Parts: sequence; C-alpha cells; structure tokens
Amino acid sequence: MSEQIREQVSAFLDGELPSSETELLLKRLTRDADLRGSFGRYAVIGEACRGAKNVDFRVDLCARINRQLDGDAAAAGTRFGAVARPQWWRPVAGATVAAGVAVVAVFALQQRAHTPTFASVPTVAVSSGAAGNAARPALVAMTPALVTTPGMPAAFGSREPVSYTTPSALAEPTGTFATARLTNYVFAHSKYPSLLGQRDVLTDLIVESDDPTPPSNREKAP
Amino acid sequence: MMIPTMARGSWLLPCAFVGLLVLAIPPRARAADDDPRVWLEKMNHALATRNYDGTFMHIAEGGRIETMRIVHRVEGGQVTERLASMDGSGREFVRNNDELTCYLPDKRTILVEPRQEHGPFLGSLPQFGAGVNEFYQIDSLPGTRILGRPVRVIAVNPKDQFRFGYRLWLDEKTAMPLRTQLCDARGNVIEQIAFARLDMPDSIPDSDLAPAVRTQGMRWVRQMPRDSASTDLANYRASQLPPGFRLTVAGAQTLGGASVPATHLVYSDGLATVSVFVEASSDERPASTPPVVPMQGLTRVGSGFVFSTVVEGHQVTAVGEVPAQTVEFIAHSVKAYGVGEATGSSESAHH
Repeated sequence: MSEQIREQVSAFLDGELPSSETELLLKRLTRDADLRGSFGRYAVIGEACRGAKNVDFRVDLCARINRQLDGDAAAAGTRFGAVARPQWWRPVAGATVAAGVAVVAVFALQQRAHTPTFASVPTVAVSSGAAGNAARPALVAMTPALVTTPGMPAAFGSREPVSYTTPSALAEPTGTFATARLTNYVFAHSKYPSLLGQRDVLTDLIVESDDPTPPSNREKAP
Repeated sequence: MMIPTMARGSWLLPCAFVGLLVLAIPPRARAADDDPRVWLEKMNHALATRNYDGTFMHIAEGGRIETMRIVHRVEGGQVTERLASMDGSGREFVRNNDELTCYLPDKRTILVEPRQEHGPFLGSLPQFGAGVNEFYQIDSLPGTRILGRPVRVIAVNPKDQFRFGYRLWLDEKTAMPLRTQLCDARGNVIEQIAFARLDMPDSIPDSDLAPAVRTQGMRWVRQMPRDSASTDLANYRASQLPPGFRLTVAGAQTLGGASVPATHLVYSDGLATVSVFVEASSDERPASTPPVVPMQGLTRVGSGFVFSTVVEGHQVTAVGEVPAQTVEFIAHSVKAYGVGEATGSSESAHH
C-alpha cells in the first residue's frame, strides 16, 4: 500500500479525508481486492495504534507495528497477508498465523475477542453446572450474583443465587459446522439481534462469501 | 487588527441574543440534550424514519473490508430497505414491511423469511432502561468531525465480559450514525462501519431498491416461521443465564432445509441478544428426512459466535453477537422442563 493510500486511509478513519478524495478512495477499494485487504488490516491495527480509548496493550506491540509500517511497509504487508481472516462457518482453529510482529498483533487482537481475561474477576468456586449436561466442560465460577430466569421452576428461576460460569480455557473456536445450517441459524437469528447487532449479523452474512476452504473440509462430520 | 466599533457591536448583539436564549432554556432541557441516551434515541428515530442512501465500509477484525450500499426508504408508512455488497460477494438483502429476501449469488441461493420486526438494517438501540444501565456504561466522548460534519461520540461500554460494547459517531444535525464500532469489554475494536457517503434525500426511486442480482437458476429457500415445535422440544429452556439476560421470545421455526420445526428461544439483556435453537434428534424426524449430522463446538460468526452441543439427544445451538463464553454458557445450560414448568410471564409467543 503506497504512502499516499496509507495517508488517505488514516485520514478517512480520522474523519479528515475530503469527500472528493473519499470517493476516489472508495472507487479504488471497490476495484482493488488487494487494497481492500490492506486497508482492512491497516484499519484494525491503526485503531489500536492511534491510541483508541480503552485499548489496552500489555506489551508494546503498537510501537513495533509502527516500525514495521513505517520502515518496511512491503514486508509488513506480506506478513499481514499471512493472516487468515475469521470465517464464521469454519473452525478458526485452522487459521494459524505466521510469524511476524504484525501477525502477532492481529492475533493478539483476535485473542482478546475470543478469550476474555478474568484477572480482575474473583474466582471463587467450581460449578457443577446444570443437571443433564454431562458434556459440559470444566467451568470456573465467577461473580456470584442473583439472577432471575423467567419461566423457570423455583429451583432454577426466581432470585436464586447462582454461580456465573465461563469456560476456563477457550483458546480458539473449535466447532465443525455445515455452512448451510449455520447460515440458516444466523439468518433466523437476524430477526432478533441486538438491533445494532443486526447490522453486524447481516453485514457478516454479506461479507462471508469467498471462503477459500473447500466445502468438503467445512462440512466434514465430527 | 483593529475591529471597527460598529462591527464589534453588530457581532456582540447576536451573541447576547443567543446567550439569552440559552439562559431561557431550562437547565434540565439542556442537560437532556447532552444526555447520550437521548442521542441514542434520536439515532433510533433517524434510522427508522428517515430516507437515506449511503455507502459505507465494513471493516472486520482480522483484516477484511467490504464496501456496501444501504438504501432506506420510508414512504406512506411502508419501509423498504436494501443492503448490498459493492464488491466481492455481490450479496444483497432487500426488506419490505413484512419480508426479508437474502440474495446469495455466490451460493446460488435466495433465502426468504417473513419478518414481523421492522428494525432497520443499520440497526438501532432500544430505549435504555435501568436494566441496560446495570450492565452497560453509556458516556459522551469529545466530539469530532466526519465527512465534514460535526459529530457527537457516544460510548456504550459493557460492564462485564458477557457482552460487547459500541462506540458511535452521531451526526449533530441528523443523529445518523456516521461511524460505529463494535468493541469487546476491554475496548478493543472488533468491527467497524464508516460511512464514506451518506445522502438523505426527500424521495428514493424504486430502482434504487431493486436487487441487482440475476436470480435465474438460483435456489429459493423460504424460512417457515408459523409452525409449532413438538411438546417435547417446546419444553427446553436455559436453566442459567449470564447476568442481565432473560428470555424475551419463545417460539418455533422451521429452519431452511429442515422438515421439522425447531424451538427458537431468544435471550436478551436489552441490548445484546442470543438465539437458541433446539432441534429434534434424528429419531424424531420423519423417515424421509435425510439424516442430520450433529454439530458440536464453537465457531465464529463475524463479530459473534455460534456454539452447538447435544442435550438429551437434541441439537442445541446458541447464536449471538456476544462473546464466545456467553453463547457457550447459555447453550450448556439448556435442559428440558416438565409441561407447565416452563411457562412464564416474560415469554411472548412470536409465531
């Protein structure tokens, strides 16, 4: 991505790109798939590196990424290119990332989305989970509180102390799913998303299209 | 530079007038205008009631951008909306008052589903009640400019790890969201939408709402919502929920390609929503139905997740634009209840 395009991308995300130049950038993005990929990678990483509120990097990845972007843009682009984007109808576990600072940064961002950190949440007990869930993984209880589960019998519902639980280890999505069935679930769910989330659900359905993974791999039975 | 006395006087006069006007506004009204919740309601209203035609970039985590066009028309009480990819897939969604059609040319498929809800494609936020405030922190951030317009920036931050948050850049004049970000509990951006162009015309021609997809030879799949699940399936509910989530809808739905209706449960904290589908086991399906391979595990759905497991022989799948542990938590807690146990005042049959 040329320096000029990078500057345009940065200006656009900062809301400072003139409308005439925005139109030109848009046309270039529409025509150029490679540029779209570069733009996206830059956008995600740049968001963190511009000091977006609340972005918390425990290691100084931003500075290293900036060095890559500033000093070796081509190399950085190559490395970014090695990142497999999340595909919602295939296990992300297969999307291994190549070595490289930028890749590590992207991976770190993904990890934050996938695997929350509960360092600040007191871990108090181990929950046995609900009856009849033999396949339920070991769960670590967190944040005991009162919850009402409407419509449930007293034993499970009305203001009964429960332990909120979360998987103790959730490194990567690991399911085996069939594309068509997932599409049907998501489509049916899109009627009741979190309103703002509806945008996400439907735009994701639009975006997720050029999955390079052969169907035989994606729809393999467990 | 010296300013002529007259000029200074002519400049001060309107300022004084504006100042008097501001003083005349009750402090409570001024405070309400700055309340981010009020602005979110303004955004809701704008998204649902205004005509708009815009192009935006959808930037996903992991490095992917897609350019899309959104056209939203409200005419004579009828809402028509079109969301189309301008590159890549060529996928389109077209919604009229009661039906959503999803054109997937790359899959040679068209999905059609009746819709009783009229939320716009770009989404909106519900009115914020005390329940939502308990789990989200809503703040105004310093304003800025986007597309040459002054914008108001609002952050909706989750207070725990069970939900995502948002940052919104709202046009000061129209309250339209010119930019939105989906963030995790730590504020990291997962996805964002940034408008490159947004027009709000008085009228929009039909041609701008017609799909550009050639449908010849494509397979039509119609979702059938007006079914009822078997008594067995209808008694499944989540026994435990993350804080703030509650059952808001319980019904049945025949998913595309299926012959037997599934139970469709919707759990919401007022902002985030998780759907749970409970499907019949192979033993309960008609003999003519092809066998269905059970799915188990977690996978990503754009910014959200899908988690499937098998409970008492039934396929249970939770879908939501929430963190992974939330769908997994809810799916794992699903269990059957006896007849009469699983009916509550908060349920509302939607089909």
